[in-house]
Amino acid sequence: MKKPNQLRPYLLRLGLILALSTAFVAVFNEAVYLLQKDPHDRAPQTIELVIPQGTAARVEAGEDDPTIPEEMVFVLGDTLLVRNEDSTSHQLGPIWVPAGATASLAMGEPAKLAYSCSFSTTRYLNLDVRQPTTLGTRVTALLLAAPTMTALIYIYSLLVFPVGGKQPKKTSADISAPVSEGER
Amino acid sequence: MEVMKSKYGLLGTGIVIGVALMLVGWQIVQGSYQYQGSLIETPLPAADFELINQDGDPYRLSEQRGQIVLIFFGYTHCPDVCPLSLADYRAIKAQLGEQAGQVEYLFITVDPERDTPERMKIYVTSFDPDFTGLSGSMEALEKVWSSYGVYRAKVETGSASGYTMDHTARMYLIDPSGNWRLTYPFGFEVEKVVADLQHMLREEN
Repeated sequence: MKKPNQLRPYLLRLGLILALSTAFVAVFNEAVYLLQKDPHDRAPQTIELVIPQGTAARVEAGEDDPTIPEEMVFVLGDTLLVRNEDSTSHQLGPIWVPAGATASLAMGEPAKLAYSCSFSTTRYLNLDVRQPTTLGTRVTALLLAAPTMTALIYIYSLLVFPVGGKQPKKTSADISAPVSEGER
Repeated sequence: MEVMKSKYGLLGTGIVIGVALMLVGWQIVQGSYQYQGSLIETPLPAADFELINQDGDPYRLSEQRGQIVLIFFGYTHCPDVCPLSLADYRAIKAQLGEQAGQVEYLFITVDPERDTPERMKIYVTSFDPDFTGLSGSMEALEKVWSSYGVYRAKVETGSASGYTMDHTARMYLIDPSGNWRLTYPFGFEVEKVVADLQHMLREEN
């Protein structure tokens, strides 16, 4: 059992490695995040889609409304708000909006879906719900990576540079000096 | 003695503050509930209708005010979607327990040619005697289908049953004030529907 003062150099080394590992992981994570940042990577928000008056008639005639995209990308936690200004009800997959009403749906699960849609001539609209990389995600990654890295470097350092490993060199006198009877 | 008094005073104050914080937290949690179905934001009165129930009596939607009404459109010869949706109704009713009586479960036909009130009675009551099956004249039903955005198309199969029906498989929730409030796509998790219903019932009470 080591005494507290004998543990001190181990704890000091552990603290130092923890600080260095955390700093390194934080810098590395942020650099990777900035390099690979997706334009859709953002905080959840409400996205509004307006179905203009006369859409049903235009779709019936084979014309698409230029304001309605064929693919929509969301992040988890977004709310899709569909405002129906047309005189007939419309549906977009799980969302049904009576004429003149507004309906919303919270995007609760990441998924890539093709929904049947009454306001597009193709009759389909692609919805892509992605998991966003938020500050919380990055902090979680840091909390997972930093302790693991600390543990690995700490063990490695103990093997390569043992604590108190630099012993004073023994002189030739220490080696050759005879041990007296009284000292035995 | 003075020290004891101040200790009890502090303890009492702590308990009062703790309970108050708990209540505030509960209110925040309740207030921030997010419906899991597709929410119709603008309170819009649901299209009223009068159809015929499984006992041959007239049934009017507007007479159900004060209750939550769930509506599903289907037909009794349906091989897949309708029995599954009625099984979901049954699961919802079971999970609501004592609150189940505050919800009306409607099954409206998209196949009036075959779905007579007698046939509807056999079909819906085989799932639960409290479920209501509605049929009616083609004219009355067409108005309802149109108002609720229900798609239906006959598909000839050449089999003994003659034909099947392609139809909308959405579930509608009408709130106790008679407004369209939520819709759920086919296969939506029953637990989430129950959570929405329980929240709405809490709000009403």
